Amino acid sequence: MLNDIRFAFRLLFKSPGFTLVAIAALALSVGANTAIFSAVNSLLLRPLPVEDIDRLVYSIALREGFDPFGSSLIEYAAYRDRSHSFVSSGVAAQRSFNLTGHDDPERVRGATVMATYLTTLGVKPALGRTFTADENLPGGPAVTLIGYEFWQRHYGGRVGVLGEPLNLEGRSYNIVGVMPRGFDLPGAAEVWLPFQANIDSLPLVEQAASNYEIAARLKPGVALKQADAELKAIARQLEGEYPEFRHGWSVKVISLRQQLLGDLEGRVHKALFALMGGVGFLLLICCANVANLQLARGFGRERELALRRALGASRGRLVRQLFTESMLLAVLGGISGLLLAYWLVPALAMLNPIQGISFAAFLRHFEIDGRVLSFALVVSLVTGVIFGLLPALKGAGTHELMLRIKQGDQRSGGAASRQWLNSLIVAEIAIAMTLLVSGGLIVQSFQRLQHVDLGFNPENLLTLKMILPESKYSEYRQRVAFNDQMLDRIKNLSGVVSAGTTTNIPLEREITYDARFEVEGRVPSNPNEVLITSHRIVSPDYLKTLDATLMSGRFIDGNDRAGNLPVVVISEELARQAWPGQNPLGKRLKRVRAGQTFPSMTVVGVVKNVKEDLFNYRINRPVWYVPYAQVENSFPVNLIVRAKGNPTFLTTAVREAIRAIDPDQPVSDVMTMNTNLSDVLVTERFSAVLMAALAASGLLLASIGLYGVMAYSVSQRTSEIGVRVALGAQPRHVFQLIMGHGMKLTLLGVTIGLLAAWSATRLLVSLLFELSACDATTFSAITLLLGFVGLVACYLPARSAMHLDPVEALRYE
Amino acid sequence: MIRLHNVERSYPLGRGQLFYVLRDIDLDISQGDFVSVMGPSGAGKSTLLHILGMHDHGWTGEYFFDETATHHLKAKERASLRNEKIGFVFQQYHLLDDLTVYENLDIPLSYRHYSKSERTALVGDALDRFQIVGKKDLYPRQLSGGQQQLVGVARAIIAQPKLLLADEPTGNLHSSQGEEIMKLFRKLNEEGMTIVQVTHSEKNASYGKRIVQLRDGWIV
Repeated sequence: MLNDIRFAFRLLFKSPGFTLVAIAALALSVGANTAIFSAVNSLLLRPLPVEDIDRLVYSIALREGFDPFGSSLIEYAAYRDRSHSFVSSGVAAQRSFNLTGHDDPERVRGATVMATYLTTLGVKPALGRTFTADENLPGGPAVTLIGYEFWQRHYGGRVGVLGEPLNLEGRSYNIVGVMPRGFDLPGAAEVWLPFQANIDSLPLVEQAASNYEIAARLKPGVALKQADAELKAIARQLEGEYPEFRHGWSVKVISLRQQLLGDLEGRVHKALFALMGGVGFLLLICCANVANLQLARGFGRERELALRRALGASRGRLVRQLFTESMLLAVLGGISGLLLAYWLVPALAMLNPIQGISFAAFLRHFEIDGRVLSFALVVSLVTGVIFGLLPALKGAGTHELMLRIKQGDQRSGGAASRQWLNSLIVAEIAIAMTLLVSGGLIVQSFQRLQHVDLGFNPENLLTLKMILPESKYSEYRQRVAFNDQMLDRIKNLSGVVSAGTTTNIPLEREITYDARFEVEGRVPSNPNEVLITSHRIVSPDYLKTLDATLMSGRFIDGNDRAGNLPVVVISEELARQAWPGQNPLGKRLKRVRAGQTFPSMTVVGVVKNVKEDLFNYRINRPVWYVPYAQVENSFPVNLIVRAKGNPTFLTTAVREAIRAIDPDQPVSDVMTMNTNLSDVLVTERFSAVLMAALAASGLLLASIGLYGVMAYSVSQRTSEIGVRVALGAQPRHVFQLIMGHGMKLTLLGVTIGLLAAWSATRLLVSLLFELSACDATTFSAITLLLGFVGLVACYLPARSAMHLDPVEALRYE
Repeated sequence: MIRLHNVERSYPLGRGQLFYVLRDIDLDISQGDFVSVMGPSGAGKSTLLHILGMHDHGWTGEYFFDETATHHLKAKERASLRNEKIGFVFQQYHLLDDLTVYENLDIPLSYRHYSKSERTALVGDALDRFQIVGKKDLYPRQLSGGQQQLVGVARAIIAQPKLLLADEPTGNLHSSQGEEIMKLFRKLNEEGMTIVQVTHSEKNASYGKRIVQLRDGWIV
């Protein structure tokens, strides 16, 4: 074996061109495979700072098929008491707190959690303890847990932090524990307060609010699907028990990991599997390429192998020798691929495909760990087996070996050997075709998504968030006054075009607010019909600032205040659902919520659909805009400022304007609207960029492969070409001969590839947006592209064949 | 028909030196002649044949073919003249492996603006004339060496050239097959075909009308 390895090294050094090309191709495909696997590893496989994450599930309340909401306490209590699928379960609610007493006031992400939420997750504190059952009771002690990074940032990791006070929302809490490094559930929490409420004693309206997150741990042997089915059955019971609250609601159970990826529809999984398929295809193309190179080299070594046979080597012995050469090449390619992957992985992490914000330190940090290294090793070895086996078996074959010795130095590799090369190149082109069509569809789909009409102009917009603390703004008129003063000041700043406030910035990655409504005078044709709209409470100039398009009527203005006629501006989609084919202006609708009554609102304006909801980006969801001054609420205040130029230049002036009204009011998430929007299509961008890169690599490898086979074919057919010239062939005849051969292979590969792509792209349907999986334009364009690349790849060998000197060609014999 | 005057062929050896393969060749070949070019290996026999066949363009001197001064022609014009007037027979037969006998015979015609019907007729005639109709659908590897060379000769003359050039046409055949081929050459010559063959065999040379001896690139 050692001799085989030594000889294999010598051979690789003897043919540096072959060695370099083969290693480069292997490095590209092993590197791409390893890099993509590092993403799969980080997102789907790597352990997270909770216990046995694969047994943890998360429930989403669903409306209208797929319209995801948070869960309610009614559901939690029912699942806890009636389900047999879980070992334990707990509830948490994401919150934000104004933190004071530490330098500048700061808004921190946090949560209120049941003690069972943390025990269900199996999280062990880095310091101190988690909440006790007593602390969970109404009126329990004011205690808090802090996150590891928060502890480091604010306390420098000091162990004596336990027992110290923490001032949140103007109230002091005792720190009883520090959570482990990286743990930040739910959301991206940095502080946790105990959920001190007795569910049964809460008003039904509060129990029914969809503001909670339920985490549960599956019992051993219970599958996620079983739990899903059981909870769906319980949800149906709840519809009957609480029709006024639960009518039209269902539930979906997903794994906690899927929820952490923000992947409620499973697109990240599908995108990752599509990409793994893509890199797998790239690997096959690479294997075909290297196998072709090996075969071509093997044909040139037939005499050497025949001599070895004549000297007593068995076929098995020759296979071993040739296989050793392939495996050595695979290992060298694998090492180079790993080096490439080290360079690719950080770039890949920058394209992070997930929308979740939890466990960022784990899920957004792709790295090459032991698992990824093992994967790279296995891929390299499997690659070596795939591309090495055929050349080894062919090379060590018994056919005509003795004849080769007799033929001395004559060329070898006749029509039969060319058949193998031709078959491999046809396969390579077919795979490249499949990869290109898949990549083309995904890229096109992404482009379409990028060009979806947002319904507003995101350029030159600055956004920031505030929570007005209840302790300071206990009366609603105080909140309205703060809003009015702030907007007056900001509108008068130099460089500001206009400014407005809303309760949710369009497409932001936060809990968004919805409302059920009914249309005055309309009896639903379907008793199960539940009308839902995105619920936005906005200032007068908000829609103008957004640059929304007014289709009819007017925007909300300064006269829409408390005491005046309650008004609403609706989106086209809401108008279509509420009054199909009618003019909605002047018509009335009303918010509906069990246990509460709301005034009817008169429609005063209709705006073009605005993309408000991140999770419903692909559809037009109804939206209404109601005046901030008319609708009392304690929602966050989100400021949007339209600048004349670069909006970031206004950041300081806007902060100062707010501080001038309330020096203790923290602001957070100051960013441009475009930055906000860059998170919207992260999964699609990730897939599109990587599939495009994979498809381009596949095309490059296939064209190099085709070129190599054609060049080899010309070298093999030199004397034939000489004979043809001697028989009267003109250069154009020779050109046509070689081009014809190359194009035959290309067209055969393309034809097979079309059929393969037609089947493979069915699997991509759920990743595509407004695009058919068998989109004729994509299929035609890729066919033409591959045809063109085939022409180019054949052109150089054909041109060199055309200029062959017949005397030399015949002497080549 | 052919007149060579002061033809020389050399290859650069580096440092400005030249290696001469052919020196000061003066040769006249008349219509209907049958010339055998002989000499030891490396004497320049094949080179002379390739110059006569207008494959080789790197020579100097004068070469008249049917009074056409080929040394003044461009490569494309020489190729055209070659296609019209010259046929080749090779030592290794050089039949195209992937084509049947019929297709091998058709190949030269396909390069020469013959219509499909003319090509069919000419191939049919050649198959008849060389009595290989029964082999027309076979591939070269299914034929004996003699049969392959027979097809090689048929292919060389199918486009009715005035000059047939043969480079060791019996070199790969055993004696009886070689004799058959030489008898065929003699018959073709008697029918008016001008033939120039390169051979090492005195016996084969005796089928020709005269012998040209080459040694170290010179006619001796």
